[in-house]
Amino acid sequence: MTRATIGRGVTRALSGEPVPPGYELVPARRLVEPAIDVWFPLQPGDRPRVASGDTVTPGSSVADRVRDPRLAEMPLRFGGRPGERWSREIADAGAGQRTTHQQGELLFQTGGRWRIAAGDDHDPLESPVTGVVRGVRPGISLSVRTAGSALRGVLALGDASRGRLEIATDADGEIRPRSLDVGSAGAILVVGARIDAEALTRARAMGIRGIVVATLPGKDLRDYLASEARQRAAHHRLQSFGVLVLHGSSRRPIGEVQMRLLQRLSGAEVAIMGTPPALLFDAPATMPEADPPGSVQVRTGPLAGRTARWAGLAGLRSFAGTHLEAAFVRFGDDAPVALPLADLERFR
Amino acid sequence: MPATPSARGLTGDPRAFFALDLGAATTAAALIGHVAGRWRLLGAVTFPAGVPVPAVLDVLVGRVTAADPELAAALGAAGAADRPRLTVRSTPPAGLAVVAVSERSLEAVLRAADRTGWLTRPASAERLDSIALTARLLDPDVSAVLVGAGEPAGTDERSSIGELAALVAAAATRRPDLTIVLSGAMAEQAPRFESAAEGPGEVLLAPSAAAGSPPGAPLRELLERARARPDDSRRAFARAIGSLAETLDRRVEGIELGLDGAARVHASPGHGGEAAAVQAVVLSSAALVPPDPDEALVDRALAWSTVRVDRHRMRDRLRDLRLHPWGGIPGDGARLRLTAARTAVARLVGGTPELSALPPADLLVVAGGAWAVAPGPAIALAVADVVRRPGACQLAYDHARLLGPIGVIDDVAERRSLLADLAGDLLLPLGSVVMPQGMRAGKAVGRLVVHGGAVSSELELVPGGLELVDLPPGETAVAEFEFREPVRLGTRGRHFAVDVAGGLGGLLVDLRDVPLRLPDRPDRRREVLAAWQDALWTGVDA
Repeated sequence: MTRATIGRGVTRALSGEPVPPGYELVPARRLVEPAIDVWFPLQPGDRPRVASGDTVTPGSSVADRVRDPRLAEMPLRFGGRPGERWSREIADAGAGQRTTHQQGELLFQTGGRWRIAAGDDHDPLESPVTGVVRGVRPGISLSVRTAGSALRGVLALGDASRGRLEIATDADGEIRPRSLDVGSAGAILVVGARIDAEALTRARAMGIRGIVVATLPGKDLRDYLASEARQRAAHHRLQSFGVLVLHGSSRRPIGEVQMRLLQRLSGAEVAIMGTPPALLFDAPATMPEADPPGSVQVRTGPLAGRTARWAGLAGLRSFAGTHLEAAFVRFGDDAPVALPLADLERFR
Repeated sequence: MPATPSARGLTGDPRAFFALDLGAATTAAALIGHVAGRWRLLGAVTFPAGVPVPAVLDVLVGRVTAADPELAAALGAAGAADRPRLTVRSTPPAGLAVVAVSERSLEAVLRAADRTGWLTRPASAERLDSIALTARLLDPDVSAVLVGAGEPAGTDERSSIGELAALVAAAATRRPDLTIVLSGAMAEQAPRFESAAEGPGEVLLAPSAAAGSPPGAPLRELLERARARPDDSRRAFARAIGSLAETLDRRVEGIELGLDGAARVHASPGHGGEAAAVQAVVLSSAALVPPDPDEALVDRALAWSTVRVDRHRMRDRLRDLRLHPWGGIPGDGARLRLTAARTAVARLVGGTPELSALPPADLLVVAGGAWAVAPGPAIALAVADVVRRPGACQLAYDHARLLGPIGVIDDVAERRSLLADLAGDLLLPLGSVVMPQGMRAGKAVGRLVVHGGAVSSELELVPGGLELVDLPPGETAVAEFEFREPVRLGTRGRHFAVDVAGGLGGLLVDLRDVPLRLPDRPDRRREVLAAWQDALWTGVDA
C-alpha cells in the first residue's frame, strides 16, 4: 500500500507557483453547478398543480400525490387524451344535497371505456427550491430549473426537503442516535463520515429535515428504506425528510473541498433533492475561495478526502502487483508521493 | 503509401492512426503506424474514463516519440489532434420494458430480450394492474418497450391482447421518445399505434420470440440493433472476433467485460470462401458490477473472494466498485475487481449455454476494461476458474483494446487485412490451458512431459491441483500426457500429445474438477483460491 504523510493541505501561498505538466490528466468536475434541472417523479393519478413557466418558491405546492390509486372505468362519452385530468361531481339527490367529487388521470381507452387512475386521498408535494417549472409530464415527472446552485452527491433517499444547514460533526465524524438533539428539528445536518439506520430513523422522528453524509453502508440503506416503507404502509403522514450521500458506501470522510463549502453554508437554508441527488442552495456570496491551480483531491483509498498539490506525472508505477498510471502529489510541505492517477480528482 | 483502412471516420492516406475504445470506466488509446510495409502497434495507454481524450493522446504520442524519435518523425507523430481515428464507445445501458399478457408468454419474450444488452424490466398484465403497468412504461429510465405475444396468440393471450396494446399505445403517445417493438401476434395491433393523433416514436414490428433458428435469433438481432449505436464497442468486438477467426483460420471465442455489460462471441472460420460463422450475445446482467448488486451477486463475489470480508462489507465494496471502478487499487482493490470479473464471467458463461454447446475454441481472447488492473497470469487463472471446458485452449488478451476499433471498419477485406498485420501485436499471449476431465480423486493419475526446444520437463499429475509450467511468450512446446485411466481431453483416452503455446502465465495444467468445486468453509475456500492466485500474481500482499 502506498503511504503518504498527511500534510496541512494546500495553502494560499502556493497559488502563485506554476503547475507542473500533466495536470489536465486528472479527471475534473464542477464542485458547484449553477442552475440545474431537478425532477419530481410523478405516478399515474398524481395531480400536478403547476404548469410550464410557473415560478415556484420553497413551500409552494407543485403536485398532489395520490395515495392508494385505484382503477376506475368510465364510458367513452367525452374526448380527452391519455395523461389528461378527468373529474366529475355526483350530486346526491337526497335531503342533504351532498356532492361527491371524483377525479383522476386518463390512462387508456378500450372496449368503449376509459380506464382512469383515481384516488380519494392526496398528499401535497411541496417544492423545496426556488425556480421555474420547465415541464410537466403527468404520470412521469415535473422538472424545475433551480435558481440556486447545487453540490452533487451520489445517492439520495427519502423526500425532497428543506431546512437550515447545521454542521453536526467534523468531516470524519460519526453521529450516534443518542447524540441527536431535538433542537435540530427543522435542520439539515451534516454528519460526517457515516450514519446508521437507527440514527436516520431517530432523526426523522425528531423533526430533522435531512442528513448530508459522506457514506451510507448498504445494510443501513436497506434498513432505513424498510423502516420508511413500514411507516408509509401504516398511512402515517410523514414529514419530508431527505438523505444525501456524497461519496459512496464504504466509510470515508467528507472531502475537504466539499466540507469547506458545507461550512460556508452553515446556517443557510438549503434543500435536498433526489433527482439528481444534490444539495441546493441560494447563496452565491457564501462560496468558499477557489483552490489554487494545481490542487487535487484524493477520491478513493486510505487518503480519500484529502487535498494535495499536483507535483507532476509519475508514469506507470507498480501498485499491488499491477501497473497503473500514477502522479506525484504533495500533501502540505511533505515530499511528493506517488498515487494512482485514478485516485485523484480536481474541481473546476 | 500504405493501403488505407477505409473505416468509418478514417479518411485520407494516413501513415499512422489512433484506435480509441471509450468505455464506461476506461479510456484506451493506441497508436498504429505503417512500418516496414505493414501496420504495427506503436504504443498504447489506458486511463480511467473522465480523463480528456486529447490529454490521453498527447501522453501516448509523447511516449512513442520518446521511445523512437526517428520512427515518430517518419510517421509524422506530432499533431495528435488531426490524426485519423477509429473510435468505438460503450453504449450506455438503457431500460427495456418487456411486457406481455401472461407470465407464460412473458417468459419467452424475456428470454430473448435478456440477451441483447438491454437492462430489462419485465411486467405482465397477469401480475400487475393497469396503473402499475402504465407506471412501468412511463418510468423515465425506460427508453424502449417490447410487447410480446405468441405467433399465433395463445389461448391465454387472445382475450387480453387488445387491452394490453391499448395500454401500451396510450403510454407511447405520452412518451414520444419511446421505441416500441411489437413482437409476434402483437404486431397485428400496430394500427393502434399509428392512429394516435400524436403518435409515438419509432414502432418496430418483430417476429415472435419462438421464430428463427435458433429460436429468438431474429428478435434478438432487431433488439440489438435498436439498442446499440453505430460505433458500439461490443458489436464491433463481435465483428472483429469473426474476422480474427478467418484471419487465423481457427475457432476463436471472445469474452469482453466492461462496467456496463459483457459480450461473449464464438466464431468459426468459413470454408470455401464462406464468411465466418459468428454467434454473439451481449448481457447487461454480466456487467462487472450491475447498477444495484443483489444478494445473489454478493454471494457469488464472496464465494470467489480471496479478501476476508463479511457480506455487508462486500456489498459496500461492490457498490463502491460500481461508483469508482479504479478506486483503491493499491490496497486490495485490484483483487476485488478481479473477483468481480470472475463472477461476471461466470454469469456470462451461465447465461449463454448455446455458446458453451458449440465446439471448443482453439483460442480464447479476453478483452475489456475490467481486466485493466490485473497482471496477465492472474487474468489467465481467472478465466480458467470460470470457463470450465475439458480440452486444450490458448488464451490471449487484447491488451491495447484494438479489437473494438478494428471491428468498426465496414469493409470485411480491409478489416481482415489490418488484423493479419496486427494480430501478433494486439494479442498478448497469456498462455495455454489444458483441462482434462474425468480423473479419479486421490493419488497421482499419470504424468506429463513437456518437450520444449532443448529442454524437457516432467511432472506428476495429481487431481485437484493446478500445475504451472514455465513457457514464455513466443515459445511453443508439445505436452505429452500419459494417464493411468482414460480421461476426457477433447476426446477420451489415456495418451495425448498437445501442441501448446507460451504466454505470461505459461502452461496451466488444470487438474481441478470440471465444473470447479471449492471447499464449503469460507476460510478454507479463501485459502485455496489465494494459493492458486498468489502463484500467478506477484507483488501483491496475501
